[in-house]
Amino acid sequence: MSKVGCRLTCPSFSPCGRRCRMRGETLWIRCFINAAYRAALILSLLSGARIEDGPSLSCPFTTLERLLFMDFELKFTPELEGFRKKVQDWLKANIPDGMENPADPVDLTLEGYNKQRALGRKMAELGWLYPTYPKEYGGGGLSDDEAIIIETELDRYDQLLPPYYDSGGKLAAATIMVWGTDEQKRAFLPPILTGKVRSWQLLTEPDAGSDLANVKTTAIRDGDHYVVNGQKIFVGSAHGAEWSWMIANTSPNGKRHENLSWFVLPMDLPGVTWTHMDLIFAGNESGALSGYKNTVYLENVRIPAFNLVGGENNGWKVAGTHLELEHGLMQGSLNGDRTLQKVFKVCRDLKREGRHLLEHDDVREELADLYIDSELTRLLHLRNYWMRSAKKPMTYEGPQAYLHMKRAALRTSKSLHKILGPYALTLDKERGLEDGHIEVQQRGGIVAQHPGGTVEIQKVIIARRLGIGRAVKEQAGVLR
Amino acid sequence: MDLSLTESQEMLKASARELVEREFSKDNLVKKDTNGGFQPSDWKKIADLGWAGLLIPDEFGGEGGSLTDAAVIFHELGRGPVPGPHFSSAVLGTLTVLEGATPEQKMSLLPRLAVGATVVLAPAITESDYGWSASQIQMKAAKRNGSYTLNGAKLFVQDAIGATHILCAARLGSGKIGLFIVDAKTPGVSLRPLPGFTTGVGEVRFDRVIIHESNLLGEGREDGWTILERTLQKAIPILCAYQVGGSEKVFEMSLEYANTRVQFGMVIGRFQRVQDHVIEQVNQLDAARWATYEALWKLDTGQPAAASVHMAKALASEAYYQVCNAAHEVHAGLGIMREYGLYLHTKMSRTLYHYLGDPKFHKRRLTNALEAQGVI
Ligand SMILES: Cc1cc2nc3c(=O)[nH]c(=O)nc-3n(C[C@H](O)[C@H](O)[C@H](O)COP(=O)(O)OP(=O)(O)OC[C@H]3O[C@@H](n4cnc5c(N)ncnc54)[C@H](O)[C@@H]3O)c2cc1C
Repeated sequence: MSKVGCRLTCPSFSPCGRRCRMRGETLWIRCFINAAYRAALILSLLSGARIEDGPSLSCPFTTLERLLFMDFELKFTPELEGFRKKVQDWLKANIPDGMENPADPVDLTLEGYNKQRALGRKMAELGWLYPTYPKEYGGGGLSDDEAIIIETELDRYDQLLPPYYDSGGKLAAATIMVWGTDEQKRAFLPPILTGKVRSWQLLTEPDAGSDLANVKTTAIRDGDHYVVNGQKIFVGSAHGAEWSWMIANTSPNGKRHENLSWFVLPMDLPGVTWTHMDLIFAGNESGALSGYKNTVYLENVRIPAFNLVGGENNGWKVAGTHLELEHGLMQGSLNGDRTLQKVFKVCRDLKREGRHLLEHDDVREELADLYIDSELTRLLHLRNYWMRSAKKPMTYEGPQAYLHMKRAALRTSKSLHKILGPYALTLDKERGLEDGHIEVQQRGGIVAQHPGGTVEIQKVIIARRLGIGRAVKEQAGVLR
Repeated sequence: MDLSLTESQEMLKASARELVEREFSKDNLVKKDTNGGFQPSDWKKIADLGWAGLLIPDEFGGEGGSLTDAAVIFHELGRGPVPGPHFSSAVLGTLTVLEGATPEQKMSLLPRLAVGATVVLAPAITESDYGWSASQIQMKAAKRNGSYTLNGAKLFVQDAIGATHILCAARLGSGKIGLFIVDAKTPGVSLRPLPGFTTGVGEVRFDRVIIHESNLLGEGREDGWTILERTLQKAIPILCAYQVGGSEKVFEMSLEYANTRVQFGMVIGRFQRVQDHVIEQVNQLDAARWATYEALWKLDTGQPAAASVHMAKALASEAYYQVCNAAHEVHAGLGIMREYGLYLHTKMSRTLYHYLGDPKFHKRRLTNALEAQGVI
């Protein structure tokens, strides 16, 4: 990767390999707040002089621009554009016909699901399924930029990365990277990251929703195994999964926060059963197709002790990593909002009082609100993405973006209803709009409030991280 | 001043609540909702109490009740929320007939409407250009040899499925709007439900439906839209009462849940963020409640009520919608499980939000009314 590509991530590291002296944190800030100093820097750069503390002259153009402007644009080097071309060609040749993407994920057929899984496995052969994970564990060893390219190109086919809902890759693998032993990483990561297995996350219980630390499912050591008993709810998703990533209580009489542990649970073990929950909508977790939610029953399930990750009764610390990701950091792509495009189209087509919706002032106001919400979602993700790749310390930013998405989802429901009236509520083939996508959003906006921590819980975390009313600010969970 | 209900209204309220709790419990309504909705036998249960004819004068076999009497009952039905044609038929349909029909039409329709079991009259007004302005009625009724031919589609019609009669608004040759009483079994009439996150909504198609001119309400002497506007002034606050009842029930569910659900070792009602939701609910509820009952009082006592009516519908639609949103926040996961039944209110709140005009529509009307009264 060359100098242009590093612009997004500069100044804190330089993937081009040339050491960019801009990474000096203090200098960067000084440059931006002190215009005179900045001007002096530019002048000295132009005159070809080297100044102490100054940016490397090997990268003058990038550096110059960086000094003058922030840069919101994702730019890609010719090499990366070459990679994009490769991805495009491959997808064109390999995306099977008839990939399904129903408005309501519950409608995804087994056949459609199997196509998604098969596509995932094929992508994994090229390291494209989980591009940024290390190669030795089945990932692609690729850069964030390359991952964005793959995601963007898949998006053109209305498909996500991965092309099926998989909390194993998004959450479990990232947590195992931090807390697993080398042996566990070698055992658990390749199957997940190559798409061989897909996982659910088993957290919530009837008495443990927001209060996750209150889980009552027990996992009691018995020789080389743990024996698990309990019930989990709101577990995704359609058409089953090979594994689960579960938090359980390993010390029923132990102290709160010192009695929990995490397990990799193969779902074909005897004693594991599940039933579909009947919900108004099962949710599109981070946009990934999630299908049904289930109640999972665990009855004397014997899990090998090897599958306990992060140490017995150390699960609350492990949860810190998992929840950090779930509270906003795994959410959201940088690609635009498809619903919005559909809404614009409907407003161009549909008439009210003889005029197209787009010609009505009240509709235009709502559309502006919708657009602003969607842009803020994109910007907050862009900000978070930049902070993560630039290794900036993050505190409240994940939950902030997630909170915004949740709020925006419900506001969007109402705006659509105000614009479209009863049209927004029907999925009728003839009278409904955009193949049911508008109606689904009406249910989805409500349901989006809860997964990965409710709106209130996001606020609780933001408050702690900002240190509102407390002397010590809470730290974020440990990430890879 | 006395804001309490009268003794007889208290009795109505008690018997309505008893009926709803006995016949339309939450579990029951959830079951009905999955099994194809409201049944004619359910309508009979309501009609048997005389409520189909509540607003019909004694001379036609009704109860001769006041609008507030009806509102008291609809408030309770809203707590279910009991779906079905009671509002469409017993309020909107019936009041339209009372407002606009000829004496003969009244004689033939009202006694049958009053007993409910034989006639359900569903108003079919809105079309694909959806809205509650006269200009949005484009369906044509062509006259020839003492008959009219109706052609076109009515969209988002409440309670058409199961109705014996449809009250259809269509443009006459003169450009005026006519209101036709159409037997749902007339050749060319077809009904189908519109599924989705909504309740009781359907499409009614008229394919060269021939209607004898005696079925034109008021023989077309008066523009049908004028009749409808007059009717809506009276009918809307009763719909508002239904929305208030729904809001009230959802508020109670949320308060109770906040006081029983334990997380972090305490009831969630101890968390101020949860309290905020419940406070929002009670504020919305009371705003809608008192605006609605004041509008009803003005109507029943013959005072100018237009501004109050529009204000009530704007507030009640908003309240029911927002109270349900807040309830979903309070209940989190539980609230989205169908068996819990909160969703019945949520989709009803969505359905009624725009029915007979959404808040934006009524706020505009409110300003017009204030201007007409010289307030603005
Ligand atoms: C679509 C969807 C997908 C899901 N997917 C999964 C999944 O894959 N795996 C899984 O394990 N779980 C999943 N869940 C469960 C989800 O994580 C929980 O529903 C959520 O954490 C809330 O828990 P609860 O429903 O028990 O609500 P409760 O925790 O009972 O909350 C009730 C109310 O109390 C409030 N509250 C609670 N504690 C506090 C506090 N300290 N301060 C202020 N307010 C508070 C809440 O905000 C809420 O308003 C999913 C849920 C949904 C809706």
